[in-house]
This record gives sequence, structure tokens and C-alpha cells, in this order.
Amino acid sequence: MRVSTNSFSNQFLDQVRSLTERQNRLQMQAATGQRIQTADDDPAAMQRVLDLQTEGAGIAQFQKNISTLMEKATASYSAMTGLKKISDRVGELATLADGTRSPDELKIYATEVGQLIEQATQLVNGKHNGDYLFGGTKTDQPPFVTTKDANGLVTGVAYQGNTDAPDVEIAEGSFLSVQMPGANVSGAGTRGLMADSRTGADFFAHMIQFRDHLLAGDTVSIAATDRAALGKDEDNLLLQIGTSGAMQSRLEAAQSIATSRGDSVNGLVSKEASADLAQTLLELNQTQTAYQAALQSGASMMQLSLMTYL
Amino acid sequence: MLGLFGVLNLGTRSLATQRAGVEVAGQNLANVNNPAYARQRLAIETSLSVSSPYGPQGTGADAVAIQQIRNGFVDQQINGELSVGGYLGAQQDALNYAQASLGEVLDLNGEAGDGTGLSTDLNNLFAAFQSVSTSPGSLTERQLLVAKAEDLASHLNQVDQRLSNLNTSLNQSLESDVAGANELLAAIADLNDLIINTENSAGGAANDLRDLRQSKLEELSKLVKVDASESASGGLNISVNGNTLVSDKNVLDTLQTYDAGGGQMLVRTATSGTPLALSGGHIQGVIDVRDGTLATMRDQMDTLAATLISEVNAAHSGGFALNGATGAAFFTGTDAASIQVNSALVNDPSLLQISGTAGNAGDNQVGLILAQLAEKKIPTLNNQTLNQNYSSTVAQLGQALNSVNERAADQQVVGTMLMKQRASLSGVSIDEEMSDLMKFQTAFQASARLITTVDEMLETLVNMKR
Repeated sequence: MRVSTNSFSNQFLDQVRSLTERQNRLQMQAATGQRIQTADDDPAAMQRVLDLQTEGAGIAQFQKNISTLMEKATASYSAMTGLKKISDRVGELATLADGTRSPDELKIYATEVGQLIEQATQLVNGKHNGDYLFGGTKTDQPPFVTTKDANGLVTGVAYQGNTDAPDVEIAEGSFLSVQMPGANVSGAGTRGLMADSRTGADFFAHMIQFRDHLLAGDTVSIAATDRAALGKDEDNLLLQIGTSGAMQSRLEAAQSIATSRGDSVNGLVSKEASADLAQTLLELNQTQTAYQAALQSGASMMQLSLMTYL
Repeated sequence: MLGLFGVLNLGTRSLATQRAGVEVAGQNLANVNNPAYARQRLAIETSLSVSSPYGPQGTGADAVAIQQIRNGFVDQQINGELSVGGYLGAQQDALNYAQASLGEVLDLNGEAGDGTGLSTDLNNLFAAFQSVSTSPGSLTERQLLVAKAEDLASHLNQVDQRLSNLNTSLNQSLESDVAGANELLAAIADLNDLIINTENSAGGAANDLRDLRQSKLEELSKLVKVDASESASGGLNISVNGNTLVSDKNVLDTLQTYDAGGGQMLVRTATSGTPLALSGGHIQGVIDVRDGTLATMRDQMDTLAATLISEVNAAHSGGFALNGATGAAFFTGTDAASIQVNSALVNDPSLLQISGTAGNAGDNQVGLILAQLAEKKIPTLNNQTLNQNYSSTVAQLGQALNSVNERAADQQVVGTMLMKQRASLSGVSIDEEMSDLMKFQTAFQASARLITTVDEMLETLVNMKR
């Protein structure tokens, strides 16, 4: 085939252009570690990667949700262990307050019980991250409100929260609530911490009653009603502590499932979009060699013509 | 019989012929880098013979014509390929810009929430809904949610703006392409006039004018696919869709843009007003990509925005803010251009209606519904989630661009092959011209030697009688 002067140089330019474009592409792949940068590189894979990234973002958020819940659960748990200690001491006092004690000793017990009531109120009105823990969904006001008489004695601790327990999504379609209301007298829903109609617990009322019996020196009533009542309160607390512990285990399990799901999604994304670095570098090397060879051979051929020898 | 004076005449004419050969070689050498040039060759024929006692005797050679080495069929095919190339080029440019305006660039080395595309913004919005649902009373989380929603809304606004700008600039490029095409039509008509006059009056082919006319035709073919046929007088008649635009030296009609509605320009003939459905060229490429892939993409973005607005607002309006207020919208606007976050919420995030019951600050029922919109398969989006719908928009655009790139690469191969074929036939080779130069130079020297020989013979004759 007849080759004109310019068709040789045009062909040379085309080859150099195509090699440069290829080098550019391979270098980009090597630098980013990705086979795909934009959708036109591989549209179907790009769609899959975007969907996987959405899934990954969802899983990461679930992990955040779980962490937040775990913090709340830990705060609740520490409040509950505090209440348990109070319950232990009140129970102990109920056992000690028998007919063998003098009225003065009983009055001293009464003072202590009064202090324990205040302490329990403080614990149960505890906050976490600006929200009250035990008011149900009324998180912006203290769950329990104390009324006192003229002498400063607590006459009642009323619950002003509700019995709703807000759910949090910890995995697709999977919800958990770690909050317990301070009191639940409706007979349905999450059990109340201090009072629950199903277990017969009413810790504050029982403690106030016990204190009043102590002040009156009424060890008969203490033996007849207070000990049993306080026992129900303790059982209720133990139930709540156990539930909280189980909740924390469930959260840890959910967290580890989320972590491994997150890893597997990342693996899938990598499979779709990552470049085989060894392969890329090899091809880049080959292309660079071809480029050098094209330049060298082209340069030497372009300088020769018949004119050189005339 | 020639006689000595006849031979002298033969030698003189031979000198002129060889000199013409050198001139043609010179012309070819001068135009070696002119891509529109087809090499020329001197056609030499023997002159008429005269009768002599020895039979018919030749009287030398004359240059009769300068011929152009050109294949009209290859030229026609090249015109066709240039139209295809122009068409695909227009689409590539527009689609590349559209893809860039979406900003979906994969960066596996970056943090998950730091991507630049709308997909990341959508993910961040739903993550923010989740965070607020987990801590409904937290003003920090609420402020973060409003910020993420504003990011998404303003990104949608920007994408719409860029696509709208692209649409405007495509319409503008149509105007300038049509103006360019009309100029070329006028230029071809002028060249037709010159060629017809030159060839009819002086005789011979107007090679250089024809080269110029072919290059104008090629430029025109890039803009619009035309049918070109040469008339008997040597003029090139050009028609589009059966409408004759140029006939010999007359421009019978030109192209014109017109508003087909909504500022979208289409092309028709100026005089008869017939809308043209072109089949190739840059002009049609622009029209097809503007009214096809880009229009679809803008619709999809508007649908996505409208669905997001309606779904989020439907859930949000039934919720209660921290102060018990209800009924407010989360997003204002109706499409990608107008979507904004309700300014009341921007100024006071405590007005976000996350609770399902008035007065319960820790209630997150509406927040949960909002968060779960991420997973909701929405009928108006072909039963896809918002994210799935967006990622399929991205993929569709990518597929369109990918297809165009492949077709353009294929066309490039064909185009290059045709150009090579033409260059092989019509291109100038310096080596050939150099050897031709030497050939004609030697022949010139030989003719000069013939003349001096005849001169000496004449002198010998004259000096016979002293």
C-alpha cells in the first residue's frame, strides 16, 4: 500500500495518543486503587457499589445507635445498682426494726429511711446526655416529684412521667428500647422501675409507709406489711436489673453482628471497585515500554527521507 | 519530415513540458502539509505525428492536463463518517458534563460520609434521622439533621442549575452551528460559481478549487449530514432531507433554528419552514442528547426531589415539636430547583416534629418513620427506595455515556481507516516528489542537450559554404 509522507506521521501520532491515554488511565487506577472512578467506567458495577455504600452507611448508623443505647443502658444500670443498695439497706432495717428495739432506735432508723428516700429520688431523677432516664418519653422533666410536709418530711413521691418506651432501630426492622418508666400502674407495657401494678411494687410509697411506722414505733405493722411490701420492691428491682443486663448483652451481640456485616459490605465494595494492583502495575509497565519504543522508532523514522541523500 | 528546425521546435516544447513537470512536483511539495490537498500529476501525451518518407514520425510530447488523484467514493464515505463523528462528539461532550455535574466520583480511600455525590447526601440525611430518633431531645442532633438536610437540598439545587445551564449552552451551540452551516453553504455556492466559470472558460479541471470545496463540504458534514451530488456543469448540489439548499451557484435555502416550546430549539429550512429531522452531524447530536438522555435525567432528578419532599413532609407534618407545635413541613418547594429546608426549622431545630405525641420530648415515633423512609419502596419511583432510584439514574447516565464512548471509538477506527485510504491514494509523498523532480530535471537537461546538438548541426550546415 502506498504510504504518503503525512500518513506515517499521523499514524505515529495516533499510536502515541492511544498509548498516552492508556497510560493515564492505568496510572489513575494505580494511584486510587480503584478500577472504577465514574459511572461510565462500569455503570452496572457503579450502581451496585452505590447501593452497597448506602447499605454500609445504614449499618454504620445502626452501630452508632447501638453505642448510644449502650451508654444509656449503662447509665440506667448504675442507677439501678444504686437503688438496689438502698433496697438492701431498707430491707435490713425492716428486719432489724422488731419488738426488741426502743422507740428512739426506731426513730433513728426512720431518719435513715428518710435519707434513703431522698437518695432514691435523686438516683431515679438522674439524667443522661440532658435527658431524664426514668420518665418514659417525658424526658424533659424530672420523673418523680416530692411533696414534703411542714417539718420537711417527704409525704409523697409522685410519678409525672409516662409509660412509653421509645424504640430505637438497631438493625433493619429490628427495634429495641432500653428505657424503663419510673412507674407503670396500667398493667401493660414495660415494667415500672419503682412501681408496677403487676409485681405489686411501689418502692417510694412503701418506704414512706415504713418510715411512718418507724416514727410511730409500730413494729407490728412493720412485720405484718412493710417487710413483705419491701420484698416485692426488691424483687421488682432485681427483675429490672436482670432485664437491663440481658438488654446490654443483646446490644453487644447486635454490635458485633453489625461490625461483621459492615466488614462484609466493605469486602463486596472492594470486590466490585478495587483494581488488581499487581495487574495494573504490570500493564502500566508494558504500556510505558510500548510508549518508549513507539517514540524512539517514530523519531528515527521521521527524520529520514530521500532528501537526506540527495 | 521534421527537419532540423522541426527538431529544434521539438526540443523547445520538450523543455516546456519538463519544466511544467517540475512545476507540478513543486506544487505537490508545497502542499505536502495541506490536509485538504490531493496530489496532482502532469499528463504528458505524444504530439501529433507528421508524415515522412519513412512513415509517420513523432513530433515530441506535450503536457495536456494536470490531473488530480482523488477517489470520489472514498470522499463520500469520509463525509458520512464525519457526520457520525460529529453526532457522537456532541453527545460525548454533553454527557460528560452531565456526569460531572452529578459529582458521583468513587473514592474508596475516603471516609464513608465524606463523598461528594448526592448518594452520600441522601445517606447522611437518613443517618441524621436515625440519630435524632435515638436522642430526640438533643438539640445538637437536631441541628446536625437540619444541616444535612440543607446540604442535600442545596446539592439538588446545584445539580439542577448545572443541568439547566447545560441545556442553555446546548441551545446556544445549536444557534452557532446553524450559523456556521449557513456560512459553509454560501462558501460552497461561491466555489461552485468559480469552478463552473474556470472549467467552462479556460478548460481543464479546477483542481485546487475542488480541493477547497471538498474541505468545506467535510466541515459542513461534521455539522449536518447532507446529500451532495455533482451536476453536469461541475457544481455541487447540496440537499438535506430532500430539501435542496445549494444548486450550482445559488443558495436556494438555508437552515434556521426555531423555538419548539420552552426555549428548546429545533432546526428547519428558512424559506419553506419545514422542520428537519436530521440523521447525523453535530446539530442533530446536540438535539438528540438534549431531548433524550438529558431531559430524562432532569425529569428523574425532579421526580426524586418531589418524592423526597412529599414523603418526608407527609411523615413530618403529623409529628410534634418539642413545644408541641405540629403541621409544619420539613421541606419547601416542589422539585430539584426549588427544594429547600423549611426556614423555621433552620432557625429553630427544636421545632422539628419528631415526637408522635404532643408534650413527650423523648418520643421518637415520627423520627422512626422518617428514618425508615430510607428502606421504603415507593410506588412513584417504580417501587424502588430513594437511594436505589438515584443510583439507577446514575447508572443509566453512565451507561449512555459508556455506549456513546464505545460507538465513538468504533467510529474513530473506521474514520482513521478511511483517512488512511485517502492519504494512500491522494497524499503527497516527499520521496516520490523528489524522485519526480530529479526525473524532470534530467529530462530537461537532456532536452537542452538536444537543442545544443541541433544548434551545432545547423552551424555545421551553414559553414559548409564559406
